[in-house]
Amino acid sequence: MRLLLTYTFDWSVIGKSIQFFERGITVTLRITVFSLVFSLVLGLIVALVRMTPGPVGLIGFAYVQVFRALSLYVYILFIYFGVAALFGLNLDPLTAGIVSLTLLNSAYMAEIYRAAIQAIDPGQHEAARSLGLGHISTFANVVFPQAWRIALPSLVNQFTDIIKDSSVVALIGVGDLMYESIERVSFYQRPFEFYTADAAIYLTMVVIVAQLASRLEHHLRRHLR
Amino acid sequence: MAMIFLDAQYTLDWSVVTDRWRQFAEGAWVDVWVAVLGFGFACLLGLANAILRTSGVNLFSIPSFLYVQLMRGVPLYVMILWIYFGVANVLGINFTSFQAMVIALALTGSGYTTEIFRAGLNAIDKGQMEAARSIGLNRLLTYRHVILPQAFRIVVPPLGNTFIGLLKGATLMSVIAVPDMVFLANELNVTLFTPFEVFTAVAVILVVLVLFFSALVYLLERRLQIAT
Repeated sequence: MRLLLTYTFDWSVIGKSIQFFERGITVTLRITVFSLVFSLVLGLIVALVRMTPGPVGLIGFAYVQVFRALSLYVYILFIYFGVAALFGLNLDPLTAGIVSLTLLNSAYMAEIYRAAIQAIDPGQHEAARSLGLGHISTFANVVFPQAWRIALPSLVNQFTDIIKDSSVVALIGVGDLMYESIERVSFYQRPFEFYTADAAIYLTMVVIVAQLASRLEHHLRRHLR
Repeated sequence: MAMIFLDAQYTLDWSVVTDRWRQFAEGAWVDVWVAVLGFGFACLLGLANAILRTSGVNLFSIPSFLYVQLMRGVPLYVMILWIYFGVANVLGINFTSFQAMVIALALTGSGYTTEIFRAGLNAIDKGQMEAARSIGLNRLLTYRHVILPQAFRIVVPPLGNTFIGLLKGATLMSVIAVPDMVFLANELNVTLFTPFEVFTAVAVILVVLVLFFSALVYLLERRLQIAT
């Protein structure tokens, strides 16, 4: 039986590849931030559609159920290869990645928004309406600002999932952190060192975002203490 | 077979999928089977870890806490490559890609299952442990006959969601060449150039599987509620 000791670690390859890591991290951050912003907006729209009574609400319900059920890899293959070929689109991998991340996460975010909006006491809505505010004004000025405070920590937490899922875009050739690492692995033949470094980098990003979420939660609830 | 012509000149030919429904079904079965295995190991790891975490002994609970953070913070894709190429290289073991995938899912899943079991164990009143101990049951028997049966009801719904998450994650297995439905679709796409049909088929199968298991979890949840 071969023992662990027969492997000699060489962590210097990581130091030699700093510029590749930097390039990859920049792309990863760009994809994730774009996807976050788009899914925050799309998620809110889906939530509002979902809460509309009648058949319109059913469309929102179906959107959430179906769009949550797919994995990011299947999304990417479907959009980058399938949809692009069907419509003759010349989709670049970065766009396909952002669209996929946005569709997946908007479904999750819609549910977060919905839970937050439903958590607001109906009395708030009634009071605003009886003061003469219109439906839209009631939502924009009374209900949403309160719901937003409830939703924000969970929405930020969703960002950690976007960061982790974004690693899959390397598979269609987006030059993100994973893509750069895989290239370096084939150059140095040091999979353990590189993938350990990747794990550490993703973990760091996720922990920072999760900390931010918990601070936000603390900050937004300060008036309740 | 009906052909539909679109202005983009892409000719839809669903026979690519319908003629191979058996292969797609077998591929989907691989996804489900790997997810089930990964989930089973994730539950065992998670339960052991949660017991350490709730032990109140820092020597156990701190490493257990760090383990959870680590497993939940690392993307599944990184985990797969790390195990299949990295760890295999260091230990000099040649995992089959199937084994590597199950291990990756088990590790990633265990981060979530630990937290679920911890919440479940914490939800059981302390008096239950004290009462069982005072009538002469030892710690192991108390867990086996008193604590775990009660915690089980609390953990079923979130565990179901974890399983669904792992099933979705399992679709990544083709990156290390485990022949699942995505692997099949990729192969068909390369040989026949029918990306829309094959990836639509994969997407539809995945949605159906996920919705099926969601419904199952929902029914199980209701059943357990009535019993309490």
